Amino acid sequence: MNGMNRPIKRVALATLVMFVILLVNVNYLQAVEPASLAQGQYNDRTASAENQVQRGNIVTADGVTIAASKASSGLYPWQRVYTNGAVYAPVTGVKTVFSSAQQAPNFATGVELAENNLLNGTGSQLTFRNFIDTITNKPQKGATVTVTVNSKAQQTAYDQLQAALQGKTFNGNQAVGGVVALNPSTGAILAMASYPSYDPNQLAVQNTGTLSTVETQLANQNPSPLLNNATQTTLPPGSTFKIVTTSTWYNSNPANNPNTKVASPQPLKLPNGNLLNDDANLPCGNGSGMTPVFQAFAESCNTPFAGLGIKLGGTAIKSMATTYGFNNANAVSIPGVNAAESNFTAESDPSFTAYDAIGQHDTTATPLQEAMLSATVANNGVLMKPYLVQQVQASDLSVVNQTQPQQLSQPISSTIAGYEKQMMTAVVQDSDGTGSAYNANAEGGIVIAGKTGTAQNGLSSQPDAVFTAFAPAGNPKIAVGVMIQGGGYGAAAAAPIAVAVIRAYLATLGIQ
Amino acid sequence: MSSMTMPSPAVSGQPPDEAPTQRRSTELWMMLFACGIVLFAFLNVVGSLKDQHLGTIFEYMVAFLVTVLVAHVAIRLRAPYADPLLLPIATVLNGLGVVMIYRLNQAGRNGNAGSGAPIATLSPHATTTQILYSVIGVVVLVVFLVFIKDIKALQPYTYILGLAGLFLIALPAMLPSSISGVAGTNAKIQVSLGGFSIQPEEFGKMLLAASFASYLVVNGKQLSLLTEKWWIFSLPRRRDLLPILVVWALSMILLVVEGDIGTSAVFMGLFVVMLYVATGRRSWAILGFLLFIVGAIVAGTIVSHVWQRFDAWLHPFSTQELIDLPQPSYQLVQGLYGMGSGGLLGKGLGGGQPFWTPLVQSDSIFTAFGEELGLAGVMAMLLLYGLFVQRGLRAAVMVKDDYAKLLVTGLAFMFALQVFVIVGGVTRLIPFTGITTPFLSQGGSSLIASWLLVAIFARVSDTARRPAPKPIQDEGMTQVVSLR
Repeated sequence: MNGMNRPIKRVALATLVMFVILLVNVNYLQAVEPASLAQGQYNDRTASAENQVQRGNIVTADGVTIAASKASSGLYPWQRVYTNGAVYAPVTGVKTVFSSAQQAPNFATGVELAENNLLNGTGSQLTFRNFIDTITNKPQKGATVTVTVNSKAQQTAYDQLQAALQGKTFNGNQAVGGVVALNPSTGAILAMASYPSYDPNQLAVQNTGTLSTVETQLANQNPSPLLNNATQTTLPPGSTFKIVTTSTWYNSNPANNPNTKVASPQPLKLPNGNLLNDDANLPCGNGSGMTPVFQAFAESCNTPFAGLGIKLGGTAIKSMATTYGFNNANAVSIPGVNAAESNFTAESDPSFTAYDAIGQHDTTATPLQEAMLSATVANNGVLMKPYLVQQVQASDLSVVNQTQPQQLSQPISSTIAGYEKQMMTAVVQDSDGTGSAYNANAEGGIVIAGKTGTAQNGLSSQPDAVFTAFAPAGNPKIAVGVMIQGGGYGAAAAAPIAVAVIRAYLATLGIQ
Repeated sequence: MSSMTMPSPAVSGQPPDEAPTQRRSTELWMMLFACGIVLFAFLNVVGSLKDQHLGTIFEYMVAFLVTVLVAHVAIRLRAPYADPLLLPIATVLNGLGVVMIYRLNQAGRNGNAGSGAPIATLSPHATTTQILYSVIGVVVLVVFLVFIKDIKALQPYTYILGLAGLFLIALPAMLPSSISGVAGTNAKIQVSLGGFSIQPEEFGKMLLAASFASYLVVNGKQLSLLTEKWWIFSLPRRRDLLPILVVWALSMILLVVEGDIGTSAVFMGLFVVMLYVATGRRSWAILGFLLFIVGAIVAGTIVSHVWQRFDAWLHPFSTQELIDLPQPSYQLVQGLYGMGSGGLLGKGLGGGQPFWTPLVQSDSIFTAFGEELGLAGVMAMLLLYGLFVQRGLRAAVMVKDDYAKLLVTGLAFMFALQVFVIVGGVTRLIPFTGITTPFLSQGGSSLIASWLLVAIFARVSDTARRPAPKPIQDEGMTQVVSLR
């Protein structure tokens, strides 16, 4: 008997044990775990089942279909088609047929993602209707989502942005810009446009090779066209922030009103010894050093509001800014919208607060936040929570979800809102206002109220252009925020875009 | 030993049912049955996929059938007493591998379901190529059986074989990444020139096994001396530690330089098991095992990608591993999804979606079988692997020569370890490492090496089961025997 046989038999036993372990493991994997594995992320096998169902449409409030699923002979039976893709990309987002692409950073945006379960027909609210479809032998179809966007306002916003920004560079890259229009009394988003944009159709392809080419191409662009500049890009708000500063000031003393005179030195000597100048170093008002607030506001002098900032302090301004939506995650957590927070920092150094109070230094805002400023004033001081999804309808046309307008906060009393309205009207309607080019005479009788902003951004030749406005001033129907990176003067670069959007939208209401 | 003078069945320790019959017809029938399974698998694919041509399938099938029948004839003529199970198992596994590669090749082609494009890492001619590799594998088997009449012929070349094996294993590490790197991984395990690539380590491992065997036949007795006793372990003499430390160091270099923990484990396991068999001392096995574990942990902390594999194994579904680039656990998780969607009975060949799993034709081919043949299918395949290993070890027990015993035990265990590492890896039993699945994976080196293993097992089992030479005359005490 050979002495090696005993160890060999033990080795045989060891290999047997190894195979038994493998057998037990595959049994666990394939008999016990499948249900939990099917729910795993990036499971294209599950995703491809979803792609077999006709996805619901996305429709604008005025009935234009902006995303639909058409029969296809490709990999899956349905092809997602986006109408005017680049215009509506910030609204729809994109639904790719491959799970890895959908969940990649930046793709997780838009109504396509937020309402995915209803659009693809798997949502629990649709279970009963799906059951009825099954027993009546009807093909299953996803629910239709109606968004609050108005097609005229949206198209105008995008066209205007494109005209203003195409080919324009900022610091060597494509300059960006965004427009948001809100219904002040409900918070419904009437327009949300971003430039540069992308065509979602290019990503909704049924070929991984094409998809990865497009993804790489998009990823190599700076700034990324996938970014929604209307809600994700923050720029200094400049003088538009004076709405918040004056709100704080009115709030601090009931005696304060638009005719109250405030100090308007030129220049203002800051506590740290630096000098803060008015635009072009021109004196404010009549040059006497004391100017009524409404006039300083209309002319957009800097020194009076920087001075108010020092007097009010960073903490008081910050608490007012927060009720307007700054530093407020809840204000911008909007289903279907990927939005960044706007920022106001309460500085302990009053010299910094002076700059913060006129929308410079580290104060930043999104176009959405700009629209929220005007919407608050227009809605008598009450800020309604912005929303994008208006209604979800199952394939049998029954309503599954309906968004109810919701009050977010009340930053200012209706009296103060009246003061702000008066000042913002003066900006556009008074002959010495910075936005006087868009007064009622120029705009066919429509009275627009607004505030311009021309914000320093470190590139002195190209300040950011900002405009926030609402109209008609007497009975506001729309509030708009526009930001154009490196656009120049707010009145020259941002205001015409806002005015065009306002007029396009009011025309649909019969207000010409 | 006095077996020369005794009729073979009476050899002690040999089961009485192992009559020295040739069993070649049994083998032939089982092979035809195996080919029938492969044919059914092909027809299953044809039935469930679009735009299939029976003519093409017929050509593949005839080529495959002729190939394995040549192997059968070679064994019939040159190793008539070989174990009759080896060839049928190799046939069915190799054939199913070819069917799966054909099926994967159809994904995204001819209007069939796919990930939106054909599998990028799989050439359109992969099925033909794989059958060609089967042919080469069988040619290697024939050449081996014709020229190596006794495995002992390799015994004198201890160091030549060892150096050749080391050279083949180390070759990719010495070459630039453009030649030796595997796309999408950190591993450097192949030599790729002009679109044709081989993984020399597949052969290097076998040469090393031959080298270890002849070294241990000579030095086994000495290494089995134990002196110190430490707790419940008897320790070998310190000066005898050199060989195991050398092999351990080599396996660690392999791990660190080539980034290939799978090969490193297989390499170390091979030596440790042979050492254990040669000496009969369990302390060697335990020592080797501990050395490898400690070494792997130390190497893991030094070489980041080894540690990444551990992370991907422990938390494969986490955002960091699955979603953030470079998505270290993506391949593992897609394989698991595939096996999960297959469930007990599978989606049927052509009915699943194995194309989502990266490298499904090589590293993860086992998960494709799990998805399409289900638990039932992969259990059958694991049992076939297990049977193949046990038949090899049975030959090792039966053969009388120590060198053959050692070599075959080492090779059989290495094969088992390879199956364990890759199947355990793709099923998340152990950290996932990209090594080939014997007989199944797309690629020539692994398939040819597997067929070479069949040849070695056949040669040794033939030697073991060959009846003792018949006495020329029956009467009288003195017998004249024919030695050939």
